[in-house]
Amino acid sequence: MTDAPLDTLARAEPTALKAFAEGLIPHLGDIEVHRSRTALVMLPMRDTAQGTNFHLGEVLVSEAQIERQGTIGYGMVRGHDLERAMAMALVDLALTAGVQTNACSDFIDIQSQALAAADETRLRKVEATRVNMETF
Amino acid sequence: MAYVATRGGEAAIDQSERLFREEMGEITPTRIEEVKAALPYLIDRVMGEASLYDEDLAALALAQTGGELYEAVLLLRAWRTTQPRLSIAKPVEQDGLFTHRRISAAFKDVPGGQTLGPTLDYAHRILATNVLRGETFVPPAVVLADKPAKAHLPSVSAWQAENDLVDLPQPDATDGNDIPDLTREPLLFPSKRAHTLQSLARSETGSALALGYAAMRGYGQAHPTVNEVRLSEAEIVVDHPDGRSFSAGRVKISQAEVVDKKGEKLSLGFTATFGWNEVKCIAGATLDLNAPGAEKGSATEEEFFLYHTEGVESSGFCIHFKLPHYVTFQSSLDAMRDAKAKKAAERVAAKTKHQSEPAE
Repeated sequence: MTDAPLDTLARAEPTALKAFAEGLIPHLGDIEVHRSRTALVMLPMRDTAQGTNFHLGEVLVSEAQIERQGTIGYGMVRGHDLERAMAMALVDLALTAGVQTNACSDFIDIQSQALAAADETRLRKVEATRVNMETF
Repeated sequence: MAYVATRGGEAAIDQSERLFREEMGEITPTRIEEVKAALPYLIDRVMGEASLYDEDLAALALAQTGGELYEAVLLLRAWRTTQPRLSIAKPVEQDGLFTHRRISAAFKDVPGGQTLGPTLDYAHRILATNVLRGETFVPPAVVLADKPAKAHLPSVSAWQAENDLVDLPQPDATDGNDIPDLTREPLLFPSKRAHTLQSLARSETGSALALGYAAMRGYGQAHPTVNEVRLSEAEIVVDHPDGRSFSAGRVKISQAEVVDKKGEKLSLGFTATFGWNEVKCIAGATLDLNAPGAEKGSATEEEFFLYHTEGVESSGFCIHFKLPHYVTFQSSLDAMRDAKAKKAAERVAAKTKHQSEPAE
């Protein structure tokens, strides 16, 4: 199982995420930036024929790690967008540190609903391509 | 092979690069966005062959090379080496895939059914020439189904295993840095299965198709039936420093399983790659299916197809022949002239001998 709020933050709409995180900065006070960089994550997959795990290739990610009074905030998003990773780390830090938690939870709920709606629309399009074959 | 150091030509080299880039024109963020939006399947192909997933970088590589695919892939593979590797994500498993397309040519009633997803398989191949006369092609909208398709489905082979048609593989406990990695160790033969599948994942599409097609046409031992082709998105599951796992986003992947009858069970071949590129996956899976017991030097022999489907190496080797080979060629010419001179001398000697022999 993965952590649902972090899953949502990593795929949240970038402009909305950055704007929301910007508003958290005054509430968080002094923050130390440990890391803000692009890097690669290797993605393995399990083969269905023999069950072997093998590497598909590497994915470009942006990563940010920050700290406030011993509490860590972390963000990792796909692609080259350091601001977005930092925004994710800020929201994560706020949630873990108990700062603006209601606002953070509301933001995550809205984003989660939007992502779920987009997935549902896509899957309704996929369902429209379902074939019910007859053979003769 | 021999090389000779040459001097001169710096100005010509500089101008030739300028000529190439001048013809490409300015590369702007807008161009990158246009390439990305207009050519997603080309972007997918490049990301798969580069073994590096990022649509922006792939679009940039295409724009910078004018669509010269080997150069684009080389640029991406080179750029990749400038980045640190943070971690290895959790292995992608079938029931975790967000499925957009799933078809089987072997069984029409596979559990979960078949969804065609985005495809031109059954479309008329008609060029929209009206666009060239100033009209805009407006694609008709998809009519949404009332309910969504199921996103997560097991593999067709898992269902076959339940029906005793294939042997269910033991799940591989290897993960993280213990998974063999071609980018950090050489490809040796007999190849580790993880290396074989990683090689096929990053293979050059045309080469995989050519060799897979040879196997399909009868130059292999097994005829493939497509058990499953799937286009999907996989989650990149990584760890937060506090230990929580989360998905850092999704990437598009494609995969194919092909089968052949072997004794009382079906034997399976498999290939998957970054991006949506099902031709490569079906061809690669056919090579995987045919590899066991393949004759040395045949198209379906592992060493043969893994070496010859590596696009950066093969294109690099091919184009290196353009580079000065003056010593090699001069030496060939010398040998040729020498042989010619020897033959001429032999002819003269034979003629002289013939003339000096008395008539009987």
